[in-house]
Amino acid sequence: MSSEKEPILELRHISKSYGSVRALSDVSFKAYAGEVIGLVGDNGAGKSSLIKTISGVHSPDEGEIFVDGVQRHWKSPHDSMAAGIETLYQDSGLAPDLTIGANIFLGREVKRRGPLGRLGFLDQRAMERRALVELDKVGITVPPSKRTVSQLSGGQRQAVAIGRAVMWAKHVIILDEPTNHLGARQSQEVLKVIRAAREQGICVLFISHTLPHVLEVTDRIIVLRLGRVVRDSLTTDYTVESLLGTITGLNT
Amino acid sequence: MVTSPLRRVLGLFANQQFILLLVLVAVMVYFDVHNGRFFSVAEFQNLVVDLSAAALVAVAELFVIVSGGIDLSVGSTIAVSGVIGAQAIVHLQSHHFGELPSLLVGTIVCTGVGGVVGALNAVLITKANLVPFVATLVTLSAGAGLALFFSQGAQIGYDPVAATWSSTGFWIFTWQALIVLVIVGVLGLVLHFTSYGRYNYAIGSNPFAARAAGINVNRHVASVYVMSGMLAGLTGMFFYIRIGGGAPQTGIGTELEAIAAVVIGGASLVGGVGLISGTILGVAILTVVTDGLVFINVSTYWNQVVVAGFIAVAAILQTVSPGTRKR
Repeated sequence: MSSEKEPILELRHISKSYGSVRALSDVSFKAYAGEVIGLVGDNGAGKSSLIKTISGVHSPDEGEIFVDGVQRHWKSPHDSMAAGIETLYQDSGLAPDLTIGANIFLGREVKRRGPLGRLGFLDQRAMERRALVELDKVGITVPPSKRTVSQLSGGQRQAVAIGRAVMWAKHVIILDEPTNHLGARQSQEVLKVIRAAREQGICVLFISHTLPHVLEVTDRIIVLRLGRVVRDSLTTDYTVESLLGTITGLNT
Repeated sequence: MVTSPLRRVLGLFANQQFILLLVLVAVMVYFDVHNGRFFSVAEFQNLVVDLSAAALVAVAELFVIVSGGIDLSVGSTIAVSGVIGAQAIVHLQSHHFGELPSLLVGTIVCTGVGGVVGALNAVLITKANLVPFVATLVTLSAGAGLALFFSQGAQIGYDPVAATWSSTGFWIFTWQALIVLVIVGVLGLVLHFTSYGRYNYAIGSNPFAARAAGINVNRHVASVYVMSGMLAGLTGMFFYIRIGGGAPQTGIGTELEAIAAVVIGGASLVGGVGLISGTILGVAILTVVTDGLVFINVSTYWNQVVVAGFIAVAAILQTVSPGTRKR
């Protein structure tokens, strides 16, 4: 592809074992800004291990990670976040009892100016206001944000969670099964936000078992099987059948 | 235009805090009607003394419960810190320390002992990964036993001078009450307006999300239990001043009153929900009911039954109220 363009994220020869189990072996790929990449594979194919490696939950045994052309070593998820990579795990999500604004700014609270701010006092108004503006940028309209997240629908919640990741990610967002447990219309809301993230020049790694969603929203699909990349092609090169065959290994 | 003020008034009834306030006033009026002198400076002085003894542990319990935990050990902590603090005071006074300096040292000892119990809870929860219920059950039991051991079952110290201080102050406010007011005020600001308070709600609401957002969940949880222990320890000192000594049965069972106040105040026992104003109203209602029953000559044996009724009603209201989460 575009050889003059620098990849925003590049993995070179990543391997990872848990004891005697080899979860990832020699995984390499490049990802570019404004690209939505599907990461698919059967259970145990290494998807979770791969996203944990990229997001800094654990370090690879071998291999290198480059972000925006610079080699990186993660000691913790903080490091990858600081480098502009946001990860949305299946089980993490949002705090349902907090308002939308409080969730968007969780862990990155805006403090008040002056001595009160130094004591840890929050500028709640500013956060609520900016949250609405930022969510609007990715096409999410939510009710007045004094409401808690528990009062939103499942689709809206997921959209807010992704909006939060998009807002803070400089380069890459990793979405682990974002359309799981969602109805058809709610899933479309989520896919809309993913497209909006692409428009903003963010690279999206989309992990999903729902192959129609993967084929619908991605530009490129990387198939993992038994810890290896078995195919990395443009989405237009796949059909549902060929994709399924590649995942299961029944046709190659 | 005509309906708007009316609607605003009706809207108040959907506000749980307002209902709690109404209940509090109603209960007080009831006692006053039954025995004409409930609204009196003397009775309010009693109320404030009892209220300030209960308020600190209730607010501490609120912090713990909002963070998704529970602290069963506060009652034992009051006992064990009061006994050890009393021993320190007795020791100092036998070496001709003045009243005030020895009480100040006693306050530090009590708060410190409470902090140690809290730290033990924190270690059991964040390092040994015990659920808070079990961890604090361990310290509840150990604390009650140690209080008996250190005191050999009897009151430590006899300090009538200190006891007179428990009723001095301004108007209906004793010195203790003023200290409690300041602490509760500060903790209210912390819970509702600072990042520390925000993290407390986030952790109680969804610890995974909190961790993913970069919050040091274990450190925060540990700090909440240490604070709870310290406030229980300070309450142990308050009881020393009140009875003029440290007795091993003091405070035993307080954890249930504290949890009751928090629940009546509208907090959720699964975490993430609760207001300091609700907890204070909860403490006030429980205190008024307990004192008022004595006031109208109802046997104190009925106390816990009436309190149980308040808890039941509050809990049922919570499940039907539209604003709360159904999980």
